[in-house]
Amino acid sequence: MSLLNFQRMLVQIGAFAFKNWIITKRNFFSLSEILFWPLVGLFSVGLLTVFLQLDESMTGFILIGVMSMSLIQVCQIDVAYALLYDLWAKSMKHTFIAPIRPFQLISGAWLIGMARSSLVFLLLSIFSGIAFGFNFFQSGAISLILYLLGLFLIAVSIGIGVCILVLLFGYKAEVAAWSITSLMALICGIYYPISILPSPLPEIARAIPLTYFLEYFRSFYGFEGRINSLLLRGFGLIGLYLIIEAVLLRWVIHHARKNGTFIKLSE
Amino acid sequence: MALAIKAEGIVKTFQSGWWHRKVKEVLKGIDLQVEEGEVFGILGPNGAGKTTLLSILSTLLLPDKGNIRILGIDALQDGHRIRERVNISSGNANFIWSLTVLENLRFYAMLYGLSGKRRETKIESLIDLFDLKEHLEVPFDRLSTGLKQRLSLAKSLLNDPTLLFLDEPTVGLDPGVSMRIRDQILATQKANRMTILLTTHNMKEAESLCHRIAFLREGKILAIGTPGDLKKVVRVGDLIRIQFEGSISEEELLRMEGVINYSISNQSCEIMVDDAERRAGPLAALLSSGGARIKHLTLEQTDLEDVFVEFSKDAGSDRGFCV
Repeated sequence: MSLLNFQRMLVQIGAFAFKNWIITKRNFFSLSEILFWPLVGLFSVGLLTVFLQLDESMTGFILIGVMSMSLIQVCQIDVAYALLYDLWAKSMKHTFIAPIRPFQLISGAWLIGMARSSLVFLLLSIFSGIAFGFNFFQSGAISLILYLLGLFLIAVSIGIGVCILVLLFGYKAEVAAWSITSLMALICGIYYPISILPSPLPEIARAIPLTYFLEYFRSFYGFEGRINSLLLRGFGLIGLYLIIEAVLLRWVIHHARKNGTFIKLSE
Repeated sequence: MALAIKAEGIVKTFQSGWWHRKVKEVLKGIDLQVEEGEVFGILGPNGAGKTTLLSILSTLLLPDKGNIRILGIDALQDGHRIRERVNISSGNANFIWSLTVLENLRFYAMLYGLSGKRRETKIESLIDLFDLKEHLEVPFDRLSTGLKQRLSLAKSLLNDPTLLFLDEPTVGLDPGVSMRIRDQILATQKANRMTILLTTHNMKEAESLCHRIAFLREGKILAIGTPGDLKKVVRVGDLIRIQFEGSISEEELLRMEGVINYSISNQSCEIMVDDAERRAGPLAALLSSGGARIKHLTLEQTDLEDVFVEFSKDAGSDRGFCV
């Protein structure tokens, strides 16, 4: 790839980041996604741990779960917005008549998702330190970065999943943007260890990368876990899912061009 | 001259309902050739398949069968390369609601890889061309229909397309705004020598913009030609109305070149000719030399609308014309 083409590719990625950024800064609801809901979530669950008189490590267990869910939700919705805004505005065909590649659409939106999510992490960390005395930075910089990277990769994977569903089922699929994360909360041990889940849910949880990243980060707060093995499994699984999704997304876009989805969703 | 579009045997069906049981064949073997620099119109009633055809040619939709070369590139194999060089503007355009005119233009310019000064210069020139300067900071959802159309046209020129697709570019606009947009389209086409393929319901628009027109009905092209040629093909002639004193020889009328049909009643006659302006003089001379005194003569020229009605009437026929 020539330098000119590389620069052009970056600009095209930047287009989707630009769109999400403008809408985020202008839309009150986008701001509430960053400030209001994550803070409410963490505060209410934190208060519950106080009421239940949980010890420091149990409080940490639960707050790490809440933090993870908030970060994934905020980041994945941005990736899903890459198509959802076009779906709502009925402008899908103008995006897909442009010479863009699927990865440009996803990565531009993901950049803003990661930025928003990092901001949420910073806010919630400060808040949990002040309100509940829990330090999210205790694990050290590298572990924290690996944990966050894992969450961001999970978020992009969910976001791509939503985009695939939107291209397959149109408006009927938009609900997936808000429900997939909740489903994961049920299975992956956000508020409890997966060992208490009835069979076959623990086996399903083992196929979801979030389970490993939660266990990895909790291991720095006194919970069991073989760190290297957890990271390997977490990143391995997410890598596998992203490869599958990349193939699927390409196929779904081809399918959309065959079925007239871009036209139908622009009317 | 090189071909901008070469399509052969395009077939497209859509499936709907449970288990895709309902099958509707929208295009039934379309052959089309559009030359570079040509403004080509696709006319047809609702449901004729105009938008489907345009969507296929613009690579938004894949056909079930057929071969398509756009700007010399195989559209089925290398759509991405084609998308670099084409663009689309449609009537009832929709863009991201909360983005302003300027932000929408910046976003789409970036999608085509434009950045920095080059991007801003291009946007500025389009803002001037489509007179959008006063509306730059207005969000899309607060724009009038006319402004949305102008923004849509501006967006469609961001990448200096070699081939531009216009889907009902003036639908829903009042006549004044429509005329202005047509002028802007023509000016841009002339300046850039781009090829334009447009669909429209508006006969006047097709007649004023297009070098050639294809009539599409029920997924088939019924006729292709210049507006003038198409009028001749369907033999919907111009009308010459004459009020006279004396008598007219019907035999002489029939022998006269260009006469398609006539009716005479009570010192007045209606004569259908192929070209009223050309035939009126010789016709008046012929009638006068035959002893008739012409009191009043009016010309009524056929427009494309009459041709369109003529084609739309004949629903069961499979006739096809290429002029």
